[in-house]
Amino acid sequence: MTLSLTRRAALAGLGGALAMPAIRPSFAQGAPIKVGVLHSLSGTMAISETALRDTVLMMIEWANAQGGVLGRKLEPVVVDPASNWPLFAEKARELLAVSKVDVTFGCWTSVSRKSVLPVFEELNGLLFYPVQYEGEEQSKNVFYTGAAPNQQAIPAVEYLMGKDGGEAKRIVLLGTDYVYPRTTNRILRAFLISKGIPESDIMEEYTPFGHSDWQGIVSRVKTFANQGKRTAIVSTINGDANVPFYRELGNQGIKAEDIPCVAFSVGEEELAGIDTKPLVGHLAAWNYFMSVPGKPNDDFKAMWRAYIKNDKRVTNDPMEATYTGFRMWMQAVQKAGTTAVNPVRQAMYGQKVMAPCGYEEEMRPNHHLTKPVMIGEIQENGQFNIVYKTPNAIPAENWSPFIPENASRRG
Amino acid sequence: MKERAAGPLTSPPIRKMARLVLLLVLLLAAARPAAAQDAYLDALPGLAGGFGAQAEAVERLGAGGDPRALAVLRALSEGRLMKRDSTVILDGTDAATGQALDVTGADTVRINNRVRSALRGALGRLQLVSTNPDERFAAAESVFRSRSAENIPGLEAAIARETVPRVKERQELALAASRLVAPEAAARRQGIATLGGASSEDARALLLEARGANPDLAVEIDAAVASIDTRLTFKRAAETLFQGLSLGSVLLLAALGLAITFGVMGVINMAHGEFVMLGAYTTFVVQEALRGIPWLLPWSLPLSVPAAFLVAGLAGAALERGLIRHLYGRPLETLLMTFGVGMILQQAVRLAFGAQNREVISPAWMQGTLSLPGGILITQNRLWVIVFAILVLLLAIAAIRLTRFGLEMRAVVQNRRIAATMGIRTGRVDALTFAFGSGIAGMAGVALSQIDNVSPNLGTGYIIDSFMVVVFGGVGSLVGTLVGSMGLGVLNKVIEPWAGAVLAKVAVLVIIMLFIQRRPRGLFALKGRAADA
Amino acid sequence: MSEITATPVPRGIPPRLLVRGAILAGIALLAALPLLNLLPAGSALRVSDFTVAVTGKWICYAVLALAIDLAWGYAGILSLGHGAFFALGGYAMGMHLMRLIGPRGVYGHPVLPDFMVFLGYRELPWYWLGFEHFPYAILMALLVPGALAFVVGWLSFRSRITGVYFSILTQAMTYALMLAFFRNDMGFGGNNGFTDFKELLGVPLNTQAARSGLFYAALALLAGSLFLCRHIVSTKLGRVLVAVRDAESRVRFLGYSVTSFKLTVFTLSGMMAGLAGALYVPLVGIINPGEFAPGNSIEAVIWVAVGGRGTLIGAVLGAFSVNAVKTWLTSFAPDLWLFVLGGLFVAVTLLLPQGLVGLFRRRAR
Repeated sequence: MTLSLTRRAALAGLGGALAMPAIRPSFAQGAPIKVGVLHSLSGTMAISETALRDTVLMMIEWANAQGGVLGRKLEPVVVDPASNWPLFAEKARELLAVSKVDVTFGCWTSVSRKSVLPVFEELNGLLFYPVQYEGEEQSKNVFYTGAAPNQQAIPAVEYLMGKDGGEAKRIVLLGTDYVYPRTTNRILRAFLISKGIPESDIMEEYTPFGHSDWQGIVSRVKTFANQGKRTAIVSTINGDANVPFYRELGNQGIKAEDIPCVAFSVGEEELAGIDTKPLVGHLAAWNYFMSVPGKPNDDFKAMWRAYIKNDKRVTNDPMEATYTGFRMWMQAVQKAGTTAVNPVRQAMYGQKVMAPCGYEEEMRPNHHLTKPVMIGEIQENGQFNIVYKTPNAIPAENWSPFIPENASRRG
Repeated sequence: MKERAAGPLTSPPIRKMARLVLLLVLLLAAARPAAAQDAYLDALPGLAGGFGAQAEAVERLGAGGDPRALAVLRALSEGRLMKRDSTVILDGTDAATGQALDVTGADTVRINNRVRSALRGALGRLQLVSTNPDERFAAAESVFRSRSAENIPGLEAAIARETVPRVKERQELALAASRLVAPEAAARRQGIATLGGASSEDARALLLEARGANPDLAVEIDAAVASIDTRLTFKRAAETLFQGLSLGSVLLLAALGLAITFGVMGVINMAHGEFVMLGAYTTFVVQEALRGIPWLLPWSLPLSVPAAFLVAGLAGAALERGLIRHLYGRPLETLLMTFGVGMILQQAVRLAFGAQNREVISPAWMQGTLSLPGGILITQNRLWVIVFAILVLLLAIAAIRLTRFGLEMRAVVQNRRIAATMGIRTGRVDALTFAFGSGIAGMAGVALSQIDNVSPNLGTGYIIDSFMVVVFGGVGSLVGTLVGSMGLGVLNKVIEPWAGAVLAKVAVLVIIMLFIQRRPRGLFALKGRAADA
Repeated sequence: MSEITATPVPRGIPPRLLVRGAILAGIALLAALPLLNLLPAGSALRVSDFTVAVTGKWICYAVLALAIDLAWGYAGILSLGHGAFFALGGYAMGMHLMRLIGPRGVYGHPVLPDFMVFLGYRELPWYWLGFEHFPYAILMALLVPGALAFVVGWLSFRSRITGVYFSILTQAMTYALMLAFFRNDMGFGGNNGFTDFKELLGVPLNTQAARSGLFYAALALLAGSLFLCRHIVSTKLGRVLVAVRDAESRVRFLGYSVTSFKLTVFTLSGMMAGLAGALYVPLVGIINPGEFAPGNSIEAVIWVAVGGRGTLIGAVLGAFSVNAVKTWLTSFAPDLWLFVLGGLFVAVTLLLPQGLVGLFRRRAR
């Protein structure tokens, strides 16, 4: 089954049009609108990014079934930047200069975004970036449909320090050594200190990508936690390193009731590779969970399952952000009456979409979405039990007020 | 409760009897469900409320001692409890009245950490009287963590009854922890003394936590903490050693196959990591295949070992016969060619199984920790990996030393031409040797599926380390590989706490590089020509 | 191994003339690319910006391949860590480019690059001093990789570490450097490395002028490297190197100091790779620790193998052809390109031990 679906994905990638269902509404006129898909299909990031490639292809198929946009058909242009950052820049240039795509959906890591940014700015392209990230950026050529730190990290830590979260007094900041964890932790540290937590009650530690031997760190966390105050872990551990980390937590008997661990990069897709029984009760903060009740999410999940033809495949937050971004872009193109970048950018501001998370999200002029924050506890079945959500979608602070250098930007 | 009631009886015999009877009657009346039932029924609807109300209800149910509370709380902790409005439904019946109910439209009662924590204490208290020693042990553990003065009488009774030493020990610690928060200073002092004798970090944490609330007992607490600390130093050293050996055993597993293909045959196989990955995926496939046979499922891991050996071994044989043998004598070309093979294998697995990680379940006997005397904690899965690595090493040594294949292999390595004239089919021996080395890589994959991601990139992370281990230990020497891997593992873990994980690894690499400059043939150098690559 | 000769027996048109002609024609063709880019958009001969940028990148790769070939093809030193020299050169240039951003960074700090502001640096670390000067940066792009190559080479060749042992050692070297550079505490921007460059030598980088200028600089470097390598291999030094490659012990017994010959060529090769890296960074606009990945170094060696080791033109040809295939396939067959590329490596090492150049030679005979 897996084989057939990947072959199908391969076909979609190869021929674009080949993968389209046979029944097509007739398209009024005009050349097809080209949609670039810039996600790694090989290398270390393939694990996360292939699902986003499939999401974009699904949306294109869906849009075409609706009659396309402006009566024109959408056509995907899929490339493989192979988790190689200079190749990201090269492929971005190829998409914009050679394939002449009208819009691009792509990137996962911050470094890949930073790598393509100059290219998109130089050639005035349009990139939709669907992953939660560290903020501190705002390009006129990028729409950020994932969360900024204030839409994920801070509410999660507030929850841990609250009564329901266990009233944590000491915080362990564990992360992979790259810019997203570094920034997030810097913001969190400033936030914790503003809440009266002394420096000595914060432990910060970084590990390399794909770190697999967590024995030492987990036992150091245990020691740190056993100093007589309630302790919680805030994890910005990236991708591959999570499985061995959670295994070690489970094996060293750290239960969520003792030291809860809230993660910002662990979603349904990552949990699919872990035996979640020892992890029940650990938390994740996102703007969407697959277990969100309501029709928008039911429709989204049904759409995904119908497309991927596999009932076991899960949906996750970056997929939802891709979906929301894609819908907004379609609306903006309709409103602008063209796919030209400048009018579409103007039309994007203020676009609203009822997102699968069950909230209406709005694109603000700061190129970021308003988003609700949800906190979920891991359940035995690999899904999340939502224990907290904000009443409203909150706007992004991509320039964090907790970073002093941003002082000049406020006011 | 009964113990206290029986205590102050000092009157003449008859009156004493009469009073005793009266008391018994009263006690029976009080113990009759009626009173408890009220508490039970009062508390029950709270379970259908918010997290705060749930936690409170759990506390009350745990304190009440009603036998039905245990069933309800168990169901709650296992996620079986349902609710509709404020009616709590247990296994299709109304938990309050016991009447059968239609469960359609009912929701599962969801809990969070706060409730779970309360639940642990309540269940622990209720289970202290269980007939199963494991359950009593777990209960003592729960009570230890949920510490509350209310636990003291129950614990004292349980300790008096307890016959299993390890459970008793745990219960005594739990009692001490509970005494720490008792209102009487004497009890607290007693608790501090007991905890000071423990050598666990939990006990230390409890003491430190108590320190703030008990300024008057600060001296005793500090002494107890200091006494724990002395033991903890030893414990940490032992644990660091274990972690080092564990990392070393992972390196050993990854490098052992390479020690044969590279060390013995001189073939540089850059696709070695991919054979490890194939082994891990074989584990996944075996597990999925056994899903239909539930009684075999827990044994899928041991069954995967031969399967992975076969799969990786066959792949190795195919690679050797199909490609590598054309490049004998040209190790650098072999290196480049196998790098290409590795790329192909990785992408093939990615297309066949998807880029996502695959879940390989740990059997129950590999989960959790083992506590040794002195409070040393050892994670089960790591322990098994060490045992497995040693077994695989012994297997490899035995195969080389004791079998006919091993004899022929050694002969071919020492002098190919003479071996051929003695009637040994050198081509076949080459293929078998390479298959053997690859098969061992496959077995390593089974072990790695327990501690790392099962993803197409699994092997890439180990290839350089394995090469370094083989070169460091001495090419062609399995004992060298063992000493090399264990030494590097321990070294890494000793450096790690003060240099961080990355610098520790960099430091180890630099140390090896410098070491190789001094001894280019590694720790256990082979003498003679065989070592010349 | 020994069947590969540096100079084949002449027959018909002297191959040396043929090769020289091919090289000149190739360079002329490459030199024309940026000019063709200036043609109006509709023209059939027009070359896109993308092609110019990508070709510029390939030229840098070709220089790297030349450096590897000089050490491997001629002196038999297979380094699987040449990517490290390339990346170090790149980092030197990257540091210069970062300094040139000046107050145009996100946080507007007059001196510190964004990532330092952000990680709370108060002042530039000492090893960043001087990088605001272009000549200093270029000097460092030569010296740092050169020094590393010298130290590693000296330690290894002195203890007679040869063959695969040296390869494994250099691989560990680049791996250790990658891990170290990934650390944010190193002061090199961690995983993100350096990006968002603004200008070089006063020319904004996102202009056609800058791209053409860099392109010609790379081309000049390639031509210069070819010339230098040609010179080395055709003098006595080159002959001794080939002798070392084919029979190291014999050369040593004849009284040559094998260590110093090897050390010279390896250091030179490292410096060449460093310079290639220095030009590569402004062309692609990013440098990050991923460049140190051992896989990158192995890939570069494979370019040489594909083109034909032991021939200078082969190294260049290999770098161009493999990267062209890669660029094309990652767009045309994003799910399958690894099969094709992997298969190509296998096929070349098995069937074409002398690479593409060997194929042409066989044809010629």
